[in-house]
Amino acid sequence: MNKQDLEQLKQQYRDTPIPKELDFVVRKALQENGGTTMESKRSHKGMKIAAASVAAAFVVITAGANISPVFAATLGNVPVVGSLVKVLTFREYTMDDGTYHANLKTPAVEGLESNKPLENSLNQKYLEENKKLYEQFEAEVAELKKNGGGHLGVDSGYEVKCDDDAILSIGRYVVNTVGSSSTTMKYDTIDKKNQVLITLPSLFRDEQYVGVISKNIRQQMIDRNKADPDKIYWVEGIDAGEGTELFQNISAEQNFYINTDHKLVISFDKYEVAPGYMGVVDFVIPTDLIRDLLVGNEYIR
Amino acid sequence: MGDSNTQEIIKEYILLNQNQIYRLAFSYVHNKDDALDIVQESIYKAMAGKRSLHKSDSVRPWLYRIVVNTALDFLRRKKREAVPHEDILLRGESAADDRYEDIDLKRALDSLPDMYRSVVVLRYFEDLTLEEIAGILNENLSTVKTRLYKSLKLLRVEMSEAE
Repeated sequence: MNKQDLEQLKQQYRDTPIPKELDFVVRKALQENGGTTMESKRSHKGMKIAAASVAAAFVVITAGANISPVFAATLGNVPVVGSLVKVLTFREYTMDDGTYHANLKTPAVEGLESNKPLENSLNQKYLEENKKLYEQFEAEVAELKKNGGGHLGVDSGYEVKCDDDAILSIGRYVVNTVGSSSTTMKYDTIDKKNQVLITLPSLFRDEQYVGVISKNIRQQMIDRNKADPDKIYWVEGIDAGEGTELFQNISAEQNFYINTDHKLVISFDKYEVAPGYMGVVDFVIPTDLIRDLLVGNEYIR
Repeated sequence: MGDSNTQEIIKEYILLNQNQIYRLAFSYVHNKDDALDIVQESIYKAMAGKRSLHKSDSVRPWLYRIVVNTALDFLRRKKREAVPHEDILLRGESAADDRYEDIDLKRALDSLPDMYRSVVVLRYFEDLTLEEIAGILNENLSTVKTRLYKSLKLLRVEMSEAE
Protein backbone atom coordinates (compact mmCIF):
# COMPACT_ATOMS: atom_id res chain seq x y z
CA MET A 1 0.00 0.00 0.00
CA ASN A 2 1.34 3.38 -0.93
CA LYS A 3 0.27 6.96 -0.77
CA GLN A 4 -1.55 6.76 -4.06
CA ASP A 5 -3.67 3.86 -2.84
CA LEU A 6 -4.59 5.86 0.19
CA GLU A 7 -5.60 8.78 -2.02
CA GLN A 8 -7.75 6.42 -4.01
CA LEU A 9 -9.42 5.12 -0.87
CA LYS A 10 -9.99 8.66 0.27
CA GLN A 11 -11.63 9.47 -3.04
CA GLN A 12 -13.90 6.48 -2.66
CA TYR A 13 -14.78 7.59 0.81
CA ARG A 14 -15.58 11.07 -0.50
CA ASP A 15 -17.71 9.52 -3.23
CA THR A 16 -19.98 7.68 -0.81
CA PRO A 17 -23.35 8.32 -2.42
CA ILE A 18 -25.52 10.60 -0.34
CA PRO A 19 -29.08 9.33 -0.17
CA LYS A 20 -31.78 11.77 -1.03
CA GLU A 21 -33.55 11.18 2.27
CA LEU A 22 -30.57 12.41 4.27
CA ASP A 23 -31.59 16.04 4.25
CA PHE A 24 -35.08 15.13 5.32
CA VAL A 25 -33.86 12.82 8.10
CA VAL A 26 -31.46 15.48 9.38
CA ARG A 27 -34.03 18.25 9.39
CA LYS A 28 -36.59 16.07 11.05
CA ALA A 29 -34.15 14.94 13.72
CA LEU A 30 -33.15 18.54 14.40
CA GLN A 31 -36.74 19.53 14.65
CA GLU A 32 -37.56 16.75 17.07
CA ASN A 33 -34.61 17.49 19.34
CA GLY A 34 -34.99 17.90 23.04
CA GLY A 35 -38.10 15.91 23.73
CA THR A 36 -36.54 12.79 22.36
CA THR A 37 -34.32 10.48 24.35
CA MET A 38 -31.33 8.62 23.07
CA GLU A 39 -33.16 5.36 23.35
CA SER A 40 -35.66 6.54 20.81
CA LYS A 41 -36.55 3.68 18.59
CA ARG A 42 -38.11 5.89 16.04
CA SER A 43 -36.48 5.13 12.77
CA HIS A 44 -36.39 7.09 9.56
CA LYS A 45 -37.34 3.88 7.77
CA GLY A 46 -40.98 4.28 8.56
CA MET A 47 -41.10 7.81 7.29
CA LYS A 48 -43.61 8.53 4.63
CA ILE A 49 -43.22 11.78 2.81
CA ALA A 50 -46.84 12.66 3.28
CA ALA A 51 -48.39 16.02 2.83
CA ALA A 52 -48.22 16.80 6.52
CA SER A 53 -44.53 16.09 6.91
CA VAL A 54 -43.73 18.00 3.76
CA ALA A 55 -45.52 20.95 5.23
CA ALA A 56 -43.53 20.50 8.43
CA ALA A 57 -40.28 20.47 6.50
CA PHE A 58 -41.19 23.77 4.91
CA VAL A 59 -41.83 25.30 8.27
CA VAL A 60 -38.36 24.26 9.34
CA ILE A 61 -36.79 25.71 6.26
CA THR A 62 -38.53 29.04 6.74
CA ALA A 63 -37.44 29.21 10.35
CA GLY A 64 -33.91 28.26 9.40
CA ALA A 65 -33.69 30.93 6.75
CA ASN A 66 -34.81 33.55 9.24
CA ILE A 67 -32.40 32.49 11.92
CA SER A 68 -29.19 32.11 10.02
CA PRO A 69 -27.81 34.01 7.06
CA VAL A 70 -25.34 31.16 6.45
CA PHE A 71 -28.18 28.72 6.22
CA ALA A 72 -30.16 31.03 3.98
CA ALA A 73 -27.17 31.30 1.65
CA THR A 74 -27.03 27.52 1.29
CA LEU A 75 -30.49 27.54 -0.15
CA GLY A 76 -29.06 28.88 -3.36
CA ASN A 77 -30.32 31.57 -5.62
CA VAL A 78 -33.49 33.15 -4.53
CA PRO A 79 -35.04 35.15 -7.31
CA VAL A 80 -37.30 37.54 -5.51
CA VAL A 81 -38.79 40.56 -7.17
CA GLY A 82 -40.73 42.74 -4.84
CA SER A 83 -43.17 40.15 -3.71
CA LEU A 84 -43.54 37.59 -0.99
CA VAL A 85 -44.51 34.93 -3.47
CA LYS A 86 -41.29 33.41 -4.67
CA VAL A 87 -39.55 30.27 -5.72
CA LEU A 88 -36.38 28.93 -4.19
CA THR A 89 -34.32 25.78 -4.30
CA PHE A 90 -35.64 23.59 -1.57
CA ARG A 91 -33.28 20.72 -2.07
CA GLU A 92 -30.40 19.89 -4.29
CA TYR A 93 -29.01 16.47 -4.91
CA THR A 94 -25.74 16.01 -6.75
CA MET A 95 -23.87 12.88 -7.61
CA ASP A 96 -21.03 12.51 -10.07
CA ASP A 97 -18.57 9.68 -10.32
CA GLY A 98 -17.51 10.30 -13.90
CA THR A 99 -19.75 7.65 -15.38
CA TYR A 100 -23.01 8.38 -13.66
CA HIS A 101 -24.11 11.82 -12.76
CA ALA A 102 -27.23 13.36 -11.35
CA ASN A 103 -28.05 16.90 -10.41
CA LEU A 104 -31.58 17.30 -9.15
CA LYS A 105 -32.85 20.62 -7.93
CA THR A 106 -36.23 20.70 -6.31
CA PRO A 107 -37.88 24.11 -6.33
CA ALA A 108 -40.28 25.27 -3.70
CA VAL A 109 -42.81 28.01 -3.93
CA GLU A 110 -43.50 30.06 -0.87
CA GLY A 111 -45.48 33.08 0.17
CA LEU A 112 -48.90 31.94 -1.03
CA GLU A 113 -50.29 32.93 2.33
CA SER A 114 -53.94 32.97 1.37
CA ASN A 115 -53.77 29.77 -0.63
CA LYS A 116 -51.66 27.35 1.37
CA PRO A 117 -53.26 24.26 -0.20
CA LEU A 118 -52.01 25.42 -3.61
CA GLU A 119 -48.53 26.08 -2.26
CA ASN A 120 -48.41 22.69 -0.56
CA SER A 121 -49.70 20.79 -3.53
CA LEU A 122 -47.23 22.45 -5.89
CA ASN A 123 -44.34 21.80 -3.56
CA GLN A 124 -45.38 18.25 -2.95
CA LYS A 125 -45.64 17.72 -6.68
CA TYR A 126 -42.10 19.07 -7.16
CA LEU A 127 -40.78 16.91 -4.36
CA GLU A 128 -42.43 13.79 -5.68
CA GLU A 129 -41.28 14.41 -9.23
CA ASN A 130 -37.69 14.66 -8.09
CA LYS A 131 -38.02 11.71 -5.77
CA LYS A 132 -39.26 9.65 -8.68
CA LEU A 133 -36.43 10.89 -10.89
CA TYR A 134 -33.94 9.93 -8.25
CA GLU A 135 -35.38 6.45 -7.76
CA GLN A 136 -35.48 5.92 -11.49
CA PHE A 137 -31.88 7.07 -11.75
CA GLU A 138 -30.76 4.71 -8.99
CA ALA A 139 -32.55 1.79 -10.61
CA GLU A 140 -31.06 2.54 -14.00
CA VAL A 141 -27.57 2.85 -12.59
CA ALA A 142 -27.95 -0.47 -10.79
CA GLU A 143 -29.17 -2.06 -14.00
CA LEU A 144 -26.27 -0.62 -16.00
CA LYS A 145 -23.72 -1.72 -13.44
CA LYS A 146 -25.10 -5.24 -13.59
CA ASN A 147 -24.77 -5.22 -17.35
CA GLY A 148 -21.21 -4.01 -17.44
CA GLY A 149 -21.59 -0.27 -17.02
CA GLY A 150 -22.27 2.73 -19.21
CA HIS A 151 -22.89 6.42 -19.03
CA LEU A 152 -25.99 7.92 -17.57
CA GLY A 153 -26.94 11.35 -16.47
CA VAL A 154 -29.99 13.17 -15.24
CA ASP A 155 -30.37 16.86 -14.53
CA SER A 156 -33.41 18.58 -13.24
CA GLY A 157 -33.96 22.13 -12.19
CA TYR A 158 -36.02 25.17 -12.88
CA GLU A 159 -36.01 28.46 -14.71
CA VAL A 160 -37.95 31.50 -13.71
CA LYS A 161 -39.73 32.65 -16.84
CA CYS A 162 -41.44 35.60 -15.30
CA ASP A 163 -41.40 37.00 -11.80
CA ASP A 164 -43.01 40.38 -11.34
CA ASP A 165 -45.79 41.90 -9.27
CA ALA A 166 -48.52 39.98 -11.01
CA ILE A 167 -47.11 36.65 -12.08
CA LEU A 168 -44.68 33.94 -11.20
CA SER A 169 -44.01 31.56 -14.07
CA ILE A 170 -41.66 28.67 -13.41
CA GLY A 171 -40.39 26.14 -15.94
CA ARG A 172 -39.03 22.87 -14.63
CA TYR A 173 -36.74 20.88 -16.85
CA VAL A 174 -35.52 17.32 -16.86
CA VAL A 175 -32.59 16.36 -19.05
CA ASN A 176 -31.84 12.68 -19.44
CA THR A 177 -28.47 11.83 -20.92
CA VAL A 178 -27.96 8.35 -22.28
CA GLY A 179 -25.77 8.75 -25.32
CA SER A 180 -27.92 11.57 -26.67
CA SER A 181 -30.09 13.62 -24.40
CA SER A 182 -33.76 14.30 -24.10
CA THR A 183 -35.33 17.27 -22.44
CA THR A 184 -38.79 17.76 -21.06
CA MET A 185 -40.21 20.97 -19.69
CA LYS A 186 -43.15 21.55 -17.42
CA TYR A 187 -44.49 24.91 -16.38
CA ASP A 188 -46.50 26.37 -13.57
CA THR A 189 -47.79 29.90 -13.66
CA ILE A 190 -49.16 31.51 -10.56
CA ASP A 191 -51.25 34.64 -10.24
CA LYS A 192 -49.56 36.33 -7.30
CA LYS A 193 -52.38 38.71 -6.43
CA ASN A 194 -55.21 36.23 -6.45
CA GLN A 195 -52.88 33.39 -5.52
CA VAL A 196 -54.24 30.88 -7.98
CA LEU A 197 -52.68 28.59 -10.51
CA ILE A 198 -53.26 29.72 -14.07
CA THR A 199 -54.13 27.01 -16.56
CA LEU A 200 -54.28 27.51 -20.29
CA PRO A 201 -58.06 27.04 -20.55
CA SER A 202 -58.59 29.44 -17.64
CA LEU A 203 -57.11 32.27 -19.71
CA PHE A 204 -59.75 32.01 -22.42
CA ARG A 205 -63.49 32.43 -22.76
CA ASP A 206 -63.95 29.19 -24.67
CA GLU A 207 -62.11 26.55 -26.65
CA GLN A 208 -61.64 28.63 -29.79
CA TYR A 209 -58.12 29.42 -28.67
CA VAL A 210 -56.92 25.91 -29.61
CA GLY A 211 -57.60 26.48 -33.29
CA VAL A 212 -56.41 30.09 -33.40
CA ILE A 213 -53.14 29.40 -31.60
CA SER A 214 -52.47 26.20 -33.55
CA LYS A 215 -52.93 27.99 -36.86
CA ASN A 216 -50.55 30.72 -35.79
CA ILE A 217 -47.92 28.20 -34.66
CA ARG A 218 -48.13 26.32 -37.96
CA GLN A 219 -47.54 29.61 -39.75
CA GLN A 220 -44.65 30.54 -37.47
CA MET A 221 -43.05 27.18 -38.14
CA ILE A 222 -43.16 27.77 -41.89
CA ASP A 223 -41.92 31.35 -41.54
CA ARG A 224 -38.98 30.26 -39.40
CA ASN A 225 -38.11 27.54 -41.91
CA LYS A 226 -38.18 30.04 -44.76
CA ALA A 227 -35.87 32.37 -42.88
CA ASP A 228 -33.51 29.56 -41.95
CA PRO A 229 -33.85 26.27 -43.88
CA ASP A 230 -31.96 24.44 -41.12
CA LYS A 231 -34.95 24.97 -38.86
CA ILE A 232 -37.17 21.98 -39.48
CA TYR A 233 -40.57 21.42 -37.95
CA TRP A 234 -42.89 18.54 -38.53
CA VAL A 235 -45.65 20.49 -40.17
CA GLU A 236 -47.44 20.50 -43.48
CA GLY A 237 -45.52 22.77 -45.87
CA ILE A 238 -42.06 21.71 -44.73
CA ASP A 239 -40.54 18.60 -46.23
CA ALA A 240 -39.67 16.55 -43.20
CA GLY A 241 -39.34 13.15 -44.85
CA GLU A 242 -41.78 10.29 -45.06
CA GLY A 243 -43.69 8.88 -42.16
CA THR A 244 -43.37 11.73 -39.69
CA GLU A 245 -46.46 12.69 -37.82
CA LEU A 246 -47.28 16.29 -38.64
CA PHE A 247 -48.25 18.89 -36.11
CA GLN A 248 -51.93 19.79 -36.31
CA ASN A 249 -53.19 21.34 -33.12
CA ILE A 250 -51.99 22.10 -29.63
CA SER A 251 -53.77 20.25 -26.87
CA ALA A 252 -56.16 22.25 -24.73
CA GLU A 253 -53.72 21.83 -21.83
CA GLN A 254 -50.58 22.47 -23.85
CA ASN A 255 -47.42 23.44 -22.02
CA PHE A 256 -47.26 27.21 -21.75
CA TYR A 257 -45.79 30.03 -19.75
CA ILE A 258 -46.07 33.78 -19.60
CA ASN A 259 -42.89 35.68 -20.38
CA THR A 260 -41.59 38.92 -18.91
CA ASP A 261 -43.41 40.92 -21.61
CA HIS A 262 -46.63 39.26 -20.50
CA LYS A 263 -46.94 37.42 -23.77
CA LEU A 264 -48.30 33.91 -23.96
CA VAL A 265 -45.61 31.38 -24.92
CA ILE A 266 -46.50 27.90 -26.09
CA SER A 267 -43.78 25.33 -25.52
CA PHE A 268 -43.06 21.94 -27.03
CA ASP A 269 -40.71 19.29 -25.68
CA LYS A 270 -37.81 17.99 -27.67
CA TYR A 271 -39.10 15.62 -30.41
CA GLU A 272 -42.68 16.79 -29.91
CA VAL A 273 -42.98 18.86 -33.10
CA ALA A 274 -39.43 18.93 -34.46
CA PRO A 275 -36.32 16.80 -34.85
CA GLY A 276 -34.12 16.30 -31.79
CA TYR A 277 -31.49 18.87 -32.70
CA MET A 278 -34.14 21.60 -32.47
CA GLY A 279 -34.45 20.91 -28.74
CA VAL A 280 -37.33 22.42 -26.80
CA VAL A 281 -39.18 24.85 -29.07
CA ASP A 282 -41.20 27.85 -27.96
CA PHE A 283 -43.62 30.06 -29.83
CA VAL A 284 -44.61 33.50 -28.63
CA ILE A 285 -48.23 34.08 -29.55
CA PRO A 286 -49.00 37.66 -30.72
CA THR A 287 -51.41 39.13 -28.21
CA ASP A 288 -53.42 40.94 -30.93
CA LEU A 289 -54.40 37.59 -32.32
CA ILE A 290 -55.95 36.29 -29.13
CA ARG A 291 -57.06 39.51 -27.41
CA ASP A 292 -60.73 38.93 -28.14
CA LEU A 293 -60.58 35.38 -26.85
CA LEU A 294 -59.01 36.22 -23.50
CA VAL A 295 -61.03 36.43 -20.33
CA GLY A 296 -59.24 39.64 -19.39
CA ASN A 297 -56.05 41.53 -20.07
CA GLU A 298 -54.65 41.05 -16.62
CA TYR A 299 -52.10 38.39 -17.47
CA ILE A 300 -51.56 38.65 -21.19
CA ARG A 301 -50.92 42.09 -22.63
CA MET B 1 -22.14 30.40 26.21
CA GLY B 2 -25.90 30.67 26.06
CA ASP B 3 -27.83 27.49 25.70
CA SER B 4 -29.85 28.55 22.68
CA ASN B 5 -26.78 30.01 21.08
CA THR B 6 -24.93 26.70 21.40
CA GLN B 7 -27.93 24.96 19.97
CA GLU B 8 -27.95 27.20 16.92
CA ILE B 9 -24.25 26.66 16.31
CA ILE B 10 -24.68 22.89 16.49
CA LYS B 11 -27.77 22.93 14.29
CA GLU B 12 -26.09 25.03 11.69
CA TYR B 13 -23.00 22.85 11.70
CA ILE B 14 -25.10 19.72 11.26
CA LEU B 15 -27.15 21.20 8.44
CA LEU B 16 -24.10 22.35 6.54
CA ASN B 17 -22.07 19.21 7.11
CA GLN B 18 -24.72 16.54 6.87
CA ASN B 19 -22.99 14.81 3.96
CA GLN B 20 -19.76 14.43 5.88
CA ILE B 21 -21.57 13.14 8.93
CA TYR B 22 -23.38 10.63 6.80
CA ARG B 23 -20.14 9.44 5.15
CA LEU B 24 -18.52 8.94 8.50
CA ALA B 25 -21.48 6.86 9.68
CA PHE B 26 -21.55 4.96 6.42
CA SER B 27 -17.86 4.04 6.75
CA TYR B 28 -18.80 1.98 9.79
CA VAL B 29 -21.97 0.24 8.69
CA HIS B 30 -21.76 0.19 4.88
CA ASN B 31 -25.41 0.48 4.26
CA LYS B 32 -27.69 3.39 3.72
CA ASP B 33 -30.46 2.61 6.18
CA ASP B 34 -28.19 1.94 9.13
CA ALA B 35 -26.10 5.00 8.31
CA LEU B 36 -29.22 7.16 8.26
CA ASP B 37 -30.28 5.71 11.62
CA ILE B 38 -26.90 6.59 13.06
CA VAL B 39 -27.09 10.12 11.71
CA GLN B 40 -30.53 10.50 13.23
CA GLU B 41 -29.54 9.12 16.61
CA SER B 42 -26.35 11.19 16.66
CA ILE B 43 -28.38 14.33 16.14
CA TYR B 44 -30.68 13.43 19.02
CA LYS B 45 -27.65 12.81 21.21
CA ALA B 46 -25.96 16.01 20.12
CA MET B 47 -29.02 18.11 20.88
CA ALA B 48 -29.60 16.37 24.19
CA GLY B 49 -25.96 16.70 25.23
CA LYS B 50 -25.31 20.16 23.89
CA ARG B 51 -24.18 21.33 27.33
CA SER B 52 -21.06 19.18 27.02
CA LEU B 53 -19.84 21.39 24.20
CA HIS B 54 -17.67 24.01 25.81
CA LYS B 55 -16.84 27.28 24.24
CA SER B 56 -13.23 26.35 23.59
CA ASP B 57 -14.16 23.14 21.82
CA SER B 58 -14.79 23.24 18.14
CA VAL B 59 -17.97 21.56 17.05
CA ARG B 60 -16.43 19.10 14.63
CA PRO B 61 -14.41 16.83 16.94
CA TRP B 62 -17.16 17.04 19.53
CA LEU B 63 -19.80 15.92 17.05
CA TYR B 64 -17.58 13.30 15.44
CA ARG B 65 -17.07 11.76 18.82
CA ILE B 66 -20.82 11.36 19.13
CA VAL B 67 -21.15 9.92 15.64
CA VAL B 68 -18.26 7.48 16.08
CA ASN B 69 -19.56 6.29 19.44
CA THR B 70 -23.08 5.92 18.11
CA ALA B 71 -21.76 3.90 15.19
CA LEU B 72 -19.64 1.68 17.44
CA ASP B 73 -22.57 1.14 19.82
CA PHE B 74 -24.69 0.21 16.87
CA LEU B 75 -22.15 -2.31 15.61
CA ARG B 76 -21.76 -3.85 19.06
CA ARG B 77 -25.50 -4.18 19.40
CA LYS B 78 -25.77 -5.68 15.96
CA LYS B 79 -23.02 -8.21 16.68
CA ARG B 80 -24.89 -9.33 19.76
CA GLU B 81 -28.20 -9.61 17.97
CA ALA B 82 -27.39 -10.81 14.54
CA VAL B 83 -26.29 -13.93 12.77
CA PRO B 84 -23.65 -12.03 10.93
CA HIS B 85 -21.58 -14.35 8.87
CA GLU B 86 -23.80 -15.16 5.96
CA ASP B 87 -23.63 -11.87 4.15
CA ILE B 88 -19.91 -11.62 4.73
CA LEU B 89 -19.45 -15.02 3.11
CA LEU B 90 -21.62 -14.02 0.19
CA ARG B 91 -19.69 -10.84 -0.27
CA GLY B 92 -16.47 -12.85 -0.38
CA GLU B 93 -17.80 -15.03 -3.16
CA SER B 94 -19.14 -12.34 -5.40
CA ALA B 95 -15.90 -10.41 -5.12
CA ALA B 96 -14.37 -12.73 -7.68
CA ASP B 97 -16.61 -11.17 -10.34
CA ASP B 98 -15.64 -7.66 -9.45
CA ARG B 99 -13.57 -5.89 -11.99
CA TYR B 100 -12.56 -2.91 -9.89
CA GLU B 101 -8.87 -3.09 -9.24
CA ASP B 102 -9.03 -1.23 -5.98
CA ILE B 103 -11.55 -3.55 -4.42
CA ASP B 104 -8.92 -5.52 -2.52
CA LEU B 105 -7.63 -2.43 -0.88
CA LYS B 106 -11.10 -1.32 0.04
CA ARG B 107 -11.91 -4.73 1.45
CA ALA B 108 -8.67 -4.71 3.38
CA LEU B 109 -9.69 -1.45 4.99
CA ASP B 110 -13.21 -2.66 5.65
CA SER B 111 -11.96 -5.80 7.30
CA LEU B 112 -9.78 -3.93 9.78
CA PRO B 113 -11.06 -4.04 13.35
CA ASP B 114 -13.21 -0.98 14.07
CA MET B 115 -10.70 0.68 16.36
CA TYR B 116 -8.03 0.56 13.67
CA ARG B 117 -10.29 1.59 10.84
CA SER B 118 -11.58 4.58 12.81
CA VAL B 119 -8.10 5.98 13.07
CA VAL B 120 -7.44 5.62 9.34
CA VAL B 121 -10.77 7.17 8.38
CA LEU B 122 -10.44 10.10 10.74
CA ARG B 123 -6.79 10.78 10.00
CA TYR B 124 -6.64 10.31 6.25
CA PHE B 125 -10.18 10.78 4.98
CA GLU B 126 -11.44 13.41 7.39
CA ASP B 127 -8.02 15.06 7.85
CA LEU B 128 -8.30 15.40 11.59
CA THR B 129 -5.20 15.83 13.71
CA LEU B 130 -3.94 13.02 15.92
CA GLU B 131 -4.84 15.11 18.97
CA GLU B 132 -8.41 15.53 17.76
CA ILE B 133 -8.64 11.81 17.05
CA ALA B 134 -7.40 11.02 20.52
CA GLY B 135 -10.20 13.22 21.87
CA ILE B 136 -12.83 11.63 19.66
CA LEU B 137 -11.86 8.08 20.52
CA ASN B 138 -11.16 8.91 24.16
CA GLU B 139 -7.66 7.46 24.00
CA ASN B 140 -4.32 9.02 24.70
CA LEU B 141 -2.19 10.35 21.91
CA SER B 142 0.42 7.60 21.94
CA THR B 143 -2.27 4.91 21.68
CA VAL B 144 -3.70 6.64 18.62
CA LYS B 145 -0.24 6.88 17.05
CA THR B 146 0.39 3.20 17.70
CA ARG B 147 -2.94 2.26 16.23
CA LEU B 148 -2.41 4.30 13.14
CA TYR B 149 0.94 2.71 12.62
CA LYS B 150 -0.50 -0.75 13.21
CA SER B 151 -3.40 -0.04 10.82
CA LEU B 152 -1.10 0.88 8.01
CA LYS B 153 0.95 -2.20 8.70
CA LEU B 154 -2.17 -4.39 8.71
CA LEU B 155 -3.29 -2.91 5.41
CA ARG B 156 0.05 -3.67 3.86
CA VAL B 157 -0.06 -7.24 5.15
CA GLU B 158 -3.53 -7.67 3.74
CA MET B 159 -2.33 -6.35 0.44
CA SER B 160 0.57 -8.72 0.07
CA GLU B 161 -1.63 -11.68 1.00
CA ALA B 162 -4.11 -10.68 -1.65
CA GLU B 163 -1.48 -10.53 -4.34
